[in-house]
Amino acid sequence: MGFRVMPKSAFPGWVEQMLQTYRVVGPRKIRDRYMFDEVNSPGDLDLTYSTTVLPPKKVLLPQHEELLSFDLESGKMEAAIDTQPTVLLGVHTCDLHAIRLLDAVFEDGYADQHYIARRQNVLLVSLECLSPCTEKSFCKSMGTLSVTEGYDLHLTDLGDSYAIDIGSERGQALLELTENAQPATDADYSRLNQTLSDKWPRFPYRLESDITELANLLAVSYDSDLWEELGEKCLGCGSCTIVCPTCYCFNVIDEVDFSLNAGSRIRQWDGCTLSQFAVVAGGHNFRSTNQERQRHRFFRKGKYQMEAYGLVGCVGCGRCAEACLVDINPVDTFNELSRRRIPMTRRHKEVLP
Amino acid sequence: MTQQKPKIAFFDFASCEGCQLTVIDSLQTNLELLNAVEIVNFREAMSEKGQDYQIAFIEGSCSRKSDEARLQAIREQADIVVALGACAHLGGVNAVRNRQPLEDVRTYVYGNKADWYETYPARPISQVITVDATIPGCPIDRDEFIASVKMLLQGRIPKLPETPLCVECKLLENQCVYTMGKVCLGPIVRAGCKAICPSFGDGCEGCRGLVSEPNMESLKQVMAEHGMADQDISHKLDLFLTYQMMNLENEEPK
Repeated sequence: MGFRVMPKSAFPGWVEQMLQTYRVVGPRKIRDRYMFDEVNSPGDLDLTYSTTVLPPKKVLLPQHEELLSFDLESGKMEAAIDTQPTVLLGVHTCDLHAIRLLDAVFEDGYADQHYIARRQNVLLVSLECLSPCTEKSFCKSMGTLSVTEGYDLHLTDLGDSYAIDIGSERGQALLELTENAQPATDADYSRLNQTLSDKWPRFPYRLESDITELANLLAVSYDSDLWEELGEKCLGCGSCTIVCPTCYCFNVIDEVDFSLNAGSRIRQWDGCTLSQFAVVAGGHNFRSTNQERQRHRFFRKGKYQMEAYGLVGCVGCGRCAEACLVDINPVDTFNELSRRRIPMTRRHKEVLP
Repeated sequence: MTQQKPKIAFFDFASCEGCQLTVIDSLQTNLELLNAVEIVNFREAMSEKGQDYQIAFIEGSCSRKSDEARLQAIREQADIVVALGACAHLGGVNAVRNRQPLEDVRTYVYGNKADWYETYPARPISQVITVDATIPGCPIDRDEFIASVKMLLQGRIPKLPETPLCVECKLLENQCVYTMGKVCLGPIVRAGCKAICPSFGDGCEGCRGLVSEPNMESLKQVMAEHGMADQDISHKLDLFLTYQMMNLENEEPK
């Protein structure tokens, strides 16, 4: 469809237009950190944000969400379906990759009507990252430093204007809310090319192995000593899984009113690094140690998701590394596993007669 | 539960009675609760003293020999006993004295009248009688109290949350207080308070008690790396958690 270019001076007016029809959620600075939050005016947005505590996932899968209401007296039950038209603005490319994985998960098998209803009513306006957001991010290594699909509109900051790539008809309609987005000229294209080629060297490769190797690396590292070392350090606080843009595990509880006959069924986030996550009826815990839980977490990120959906389970956003008080993080873990990997030839010699 | 409203009672032992005040406060915004139960004994809020009750809420720790008989009498009457707040649940701040020689503590508090007052090391009420459920905290969280009462009315036993406080902080997108140069017991303490202290910029003091599998050594190291001396770490852990810590250390009260 070709790029459009909008002067930055026109951007607030465009957001004003969005606010007439849509709930707009984007990065806001609140005290010393950024959060994705509903904006009431264009000035609330800060597209220069580094990273957020929680990923924009929370717009599609809220931390605490009513699934249905029930009344046992009348026998009535009603699903809570949120179809509020929403623009999710300023999503970094790592988080956009994460949303692609969430889409695959929630559409798979028995599709999740709550997630899908929200997703169908959310327009994604993503933002090209031009420099690393934090020291802990490693998007370049995970192949998530750019996007070619999955967005409705994609913005690249050209200094005094935004280059805007239209990814869908809905995105095009959203852009038509402003008259200030013009087709890119040759000069705009050359600025865009320059900006994109300038950005690339600013991002370091931090993984010592290629992501295509991760699944195999983990497969041969199931019995690595590293898991025990991580297990000793791990506080079991669950922060890593709570802040992860690709984690989607949840628990479901019922909340009742004082009639004890009516109430709501609630979905709330859960995480596999929490001690009670794998406890089943009868009390057995299938992953009873931090060591097993950390291993499971990294297998999900580097192996299981890739095998199930063909998409990488870690997008390199670095949030878990920021959140961890004992500095357990994917980069050091994968690199250390790689260093300790027993070469296949030696393994074969040990196993074969 | 039958159609009849369950009769409930509140009792206090060594405590500040702040949890009972929180109960009274909760009732003001949850008037339906007063239709769902009949309160027969609540010294903090009314003069009647009914001895016929099914659910007993007990605030306070057991801190003297004569408390035991009173606790046992409540246990015999009640179908369900609920420990209300940190003192009943953990021994609370009362247990800070357990690390010091009892005679010194008595003299410090009561001077030359020390012999007049009966006391011994403070303990959670679960060390004296069987406790069916616990509502933790100093003071208790009002929403958790209401949710727990609803569960009891449904014939269910509320369980202590097993997730550490960090989960709640992250869900609220709080900035970690460790990044503000403060220390926090959040990684080893039970959630459920809406992370009230970190939400206002203070580290967790542990009033809701340790999670069932706390990684003490690792957290002590984190606190040391954030500039705390060993003694300060011990003091931090001893505000609400003395009883639990002494158990973990196999220490006997002095």
